[in-house]
Amino acid sequence: MELLIRLSLRNLLRQKRRNLLLGSAMAIGVAILVTAGSFSAGISDIMFNRIMRYVTGHVSVRFNERGGVMREIFRDGERARAALQGVPGVEKAEEGVGYFMRAIGNGKSDNIILVGANMSAELSDKERREIEESFRVVEGSWEGARDSKAENPIIISAEKARYLNVTLGDTVRVRFRDMFGQDQAARLTVAGVMRNDNIFMQPVVFLERERAKALLGYRPWETASFSLTLSDPKRGARAVADAIHARLKPGLASMEASVNGRKTALFGVKSDAASREALAARLKLSPAVLEAALRRDGALLDARTARALGVRQGEEFRASWARKFEPGLGETRLKAAAIFSGEGPGGVLVNDGKFYAAYYRDLPAAGAAPAPGWEALLAPEWTLLPRTYTTDDYKKKYQEIARSRGKGTTADVSTMYETASDILKLEGVLNLITLSAVLVLFFIILLGVVNTLRMTIRERTKEIGTVRAIGMRAEDVRNTFLLETFFLTLFSSAAGVALGFLAMSLISVPEFHPQDNPLGMLLVNGRVYFLTTFWNTAGSVLLIMGIALATAWFPARRAAAMSPAQALRHYD
Amino acid sequence: MNIIEIKNLKKDYPLGKTIVPALRGVDLEVAEGEFMSIIGPSGSGKTTLLNVIGCIDQATAGSVKIAGSEITALDDRAVTDIRLHKIGFIFQTFNLIPVLDVLENIEFPLLLMKRPAAEARKRAEKLAAEVGLSEYVRHRPAELSGGQRQRVAIARALVTGPDIVLADEPTANLDSVTGASILELMREMNEVEKTTFVFSTHDAAVLKYARRIVRIKDGLIEKEPVAA
Repeated sequence: MELLIRLSLRNLLRQKRRNLLLGSAMAIGVAILVTAGSFSAGISDIMFNRIMRYVTGHVSVRFNERGGVMREIFRDGERARAALQGVPGVEKAEEGVGYFMRAIGNGKSDNIILVGANMSAELSDKERREIEESFRVVEGSWEGARDSKAENPIIISAEKARYLNVTLGDTVRVRFRDMFGQDQAARLTVAGVMRNDNIFMQPVVFLERERAKALLGYRPWETASFSLTLSDPKRGARAVADAIHARLKPGLASMEASVNGRKTALFGVKSDAASREALAARLKLSPAVLEAALRRDGALLDARTARALGVRQGEEFRASWARKFEPGLGETRLKAAAIFSGEGPGGVLVNDGKFYAAYYRDLPAAGAAPAPGWEALLAPEWTLLPRTYTTDDYKKKYQEIARSRGKGTTADVSTMYETASDILKLEGVLNLITLSAVLVLFFIILLGVVNTLRMTIRERTKEIGTVRAIGMRAEDVRNTFLLETFFLTLFSSAAGVALGFLAMSLISVPEFHPQDNPLGMLLVNGRVYFLTTFWNTAGSVLLIMGIALATAWFPARRAAAMSPAQALRHYD
Repeated sequence: MNIIEIKNLKKDYPLGKTIVPALRGVDLEVAEGEFMSIIGPSGSGKTTLLNVIGCIDQATAGSVKIAGSEITALDDRAVTDIRLHKIGFIFQTFNLIPVLDVLENIEFPLLLMKRPAAEARKRAEKLAAEVGLSEYVRHRPAELSGGQRQRVAIARALVTGPDIVLADEPTANLDSVTGASILELMREMNEVEKTTFVFSTHDAAVLKYARRIVRIKDGLIEKEPVAA
């Protein structure tokens, strides 16, 4: 092998100009591949780690109460967090508080999205640096937004500050409807102005998360939706979403309540037509009577329960229960609209709208089990939406929810591939461009290597005959040519990698700050962003080497297959 | 003992749709240690005969035994090994490897045999000295005269200690003085190394160096033996 290597290296130097030209073409090819690959990896990094992470998360767990897209609340935060705990691949689960508001600045008003930002001291230096890099504060500081004495200190985007005509220290008044559906007004203080080239971030106003939650009416035990950051978002998103979805399976919503000092159970009755029909048949009531009985505060009781509770038909009564998160009792007023003679689930039945309002307002400390066979007709703790895997199915799912006007909370687990496919398509397009570059390069290298080797073999035919006559084996002749190609590609690749790095550092020098241009999101700190990884670079080099060697294989094999006598007879 | 035994050797070359017979039934025996010349005009079949003996061309028919082994039925790998271990070649146009220097050219067959590099180098240096090229060992072929190149070729042919050295018109590209010195050297090597030499020529002036002469014409051995 040492002999073949020496021979190959010396042969390379024989045709300096020709090999230099081919090597230069390969070097430029490698430089383009490394640059394009790093650009593509940079875009992936921006998409997955700087945009998706803040816009939807790699995986998002959304809770919507009563089908309202702006009521992103889950009343039992502990249980939601428990479902996310220890799922493999989840790097971080951030509570995402976001809310549309009308903002009034200095003589101007505009819509904003108030986003609760985690500004706690628990953030690692890396996380803090990423946030500060992604949302570069150009006036004021993130420290200012942590100022507990200031009235709702916010970091506002430069574009929004311009629209609202506000600057550092100014007050922005906001109007919005809180989690309980009440109209509210508040004052925000501009503590910082950030510059972000991502167009999606321009309406965003950051407020410290706990303050934002308090402003929007969240109670301490309640949580908003979650945005999950994954260690390997591209490969792990779907598996993580499926795992969390399986963990979020709801149980039955029930309350261990007290009526007239006697214990009973309170259940909600599902309001969809099929459930109501089944319930009417089971209770031997006409559907009309059932509907009338379950209107507003109406409650249904079986005769035995009514007797036990001392409640008579048409009588109003109060049900109360111990609360899970607060001392004291939760309470609701009901009216015994119908008392039926058959067997019931063993408690008081109310319509799910009424039930959920009481249930979510004061989650009970304890639930109650219905008689067997009744669960399917009774309201669950929440409605877990089915997993979808495409944007179209995802949209259809939400249209369906809007139409069905659900009474409870919906829980949905989705990945960025469903929620932000349009943004991710951009990555796909850019990768396609890189692939096209690779294909063009492939043909350039193919033509170059084949042509050069054909010429070389033609020129060295007699030499091939000589070494074969001396006793070199056919495979060693072939390997000599392959080694020549290997070394040519190796040296060219090294030069190409250096050239690629030089090109990337030059392209990264100029700063751009495009206004209202979606392409701005592809920049980091106003500069074209390249993410060079070892595997990207090594992959580019290996790809070029693979193409070159595969291309060289056939002419090299042909040279080796020549009969020595035939090769020795060759004259140019 | 015969180192080469050829019986009824035929070799045809296809030329388009016609077949050109180059050897038409050659019978030849060469004893170990001979210094033999094959003479004949251009196109008589000298080179073809040497090529078949040297295992670089295949016979169309007949039998060729080299050191007792029948070579006509062997595969490429086996005949390559015979070329490497049993045969040395000297070409009319020297055929040295231009990217290697004198020593590297001489040691090349030994390295193909996977001999240790130090041993190969030592043997190459010895042979370079024997052919009078000690001062030129670091020169590349392009930096040598024709005579010097042919000396390198002789050293390369002998370096493996082959049973037979085949030389195809070794003096054709040399002036008469240099040619004579090359033939002197070959004969000296034949005497010192006891290696069988078979060389072809169409130059009657070089025949005085041969101990046995075989005349070939139109693909047939014309008359044997011819007095040297």
